[in-house]
Amino acid sequence: MNLLSLALAAALIAGGATAASAQTTAEAGPFPVTGNVPNLCAAGTLTGGGTAFDLGILSNESTGRMRRDLEATPKILTAAYCSTASTITIEATPLESVNNTNAPPPGFSRRIDYSATASGWTNVAAVYDTGSTSNPAATQSRATAFQGDITVSIGTFSTNGGDILRLVADPAYQGIVTVTLAATT
Amino acid sequence: MKTRIALLVLSIAIPAGAASAQQGGPVQGSVALDAIVAGRCTLGPPSRNSIPIGQLSNSSGARVGRLATIPDQQISLPGSWCNFANTTMTVEARALVALDANPVQAGFARAVNYTSTVTNWAATNAATTTAATVAGSTPSSQGVSSIHPEPKLADVTLILNNFTVPSDGILVSGAYAGAVTITLGPAS
Repeated sequence: MNLLSLALAAALIAGGATAASAQTTAEAGPFPVTGNVPNLCAAGTLTGGGTAFDLGILSNESTGRMRRDLEATPKILTAAYCSTASTITIEATPLESVNNTNAPPPGFSRRIDYSATASGWTNVAAVYDTGSTSNPAATQSRATAFQGDITVSIGTFSTNGGDILRLVADPAYQGIVTVTLAATT
Repeated sequence: MKTRIALLVLSIAIPAGAASAQQGGPVQGSVALDAIVAGRCTLGPPSRNSIPIGQLSNSSGARVGRLATIPDQQISLPGSWCNFANTTMTVEARALVALDANPVQAGFARAVNYTSTVTNWAATNAATTTAATVAGSTPSSQGVSSIHPEPKLADVTLILNNFTVPSDGILVSGAYAGAVTITLGPAS
């Protein structure tokens, strides 16, 4: 009986040794590495000579009516970008006399309307007309992240009430153009 | 106890005596005892099972939208060991790539590369730096340590650092994912 037990034990040892002879490898992981980038838009750097469109004298000094040759150098928003799909919206307020805010007498006006345009971001430029009650083209969309320059320009000036009207005198007429880039979530 | 030993010797002697067919004097025989210790490597329990970095890009400043400064990330695996000689540590890494697979526009990138290093095993650490492109292709890389010539027990550390973006592009928004795997075993 003891002989049988010993022989069996020896066989078990030998069998175990054979099965465990390979060298094993240890693995840890994969450890997930994760991060995120938020939706983000930046308007870039404004270039084009200051932050204001300077139109100079608005009226024809001999007629008192709005000059027909008003123009302003476009502004460039350099290296604007959105990290995802986005919309661009342009809004503008009319040029209005800042100091003389009284209702103009017959034959006069204190407001010049114009159109403001933001181009370069979308295939169709965003346009806002201060003389229009509806501006559906003021917002345009693009489906991809994008980096580029946005050209902001103003033009198509007209005297509110009709170009036959004369402009009231004022040392400052002022309007504001606003361009908004918004990430589409 | 002595009685048991005597019985055991007697039991061994019986078949040996029978085989030699001798009469009278003591006979002897032998039984071989064969055993082995299996070669084994084990990596210790990791101090954490994932590396959530959080926001990768700057939200403001001169580098808005581009890669922020990301501190070193570590996972410790204490008590890692191999009980045989000539082993190597291997680290495999996959760059952080945006899950949004849409093509990237010029100036953008959808990948963040980094260096993965496993320290304290061999003379030369296992290290690799991913080299994904701006579009996120070729994200995987692998590094192998030098061969360690002896059995070893050590606390090893995985370190992730040197985070970069191809061409320092603006990162497209969304979730990013990568992974790191460590393997300890015999040198190939």
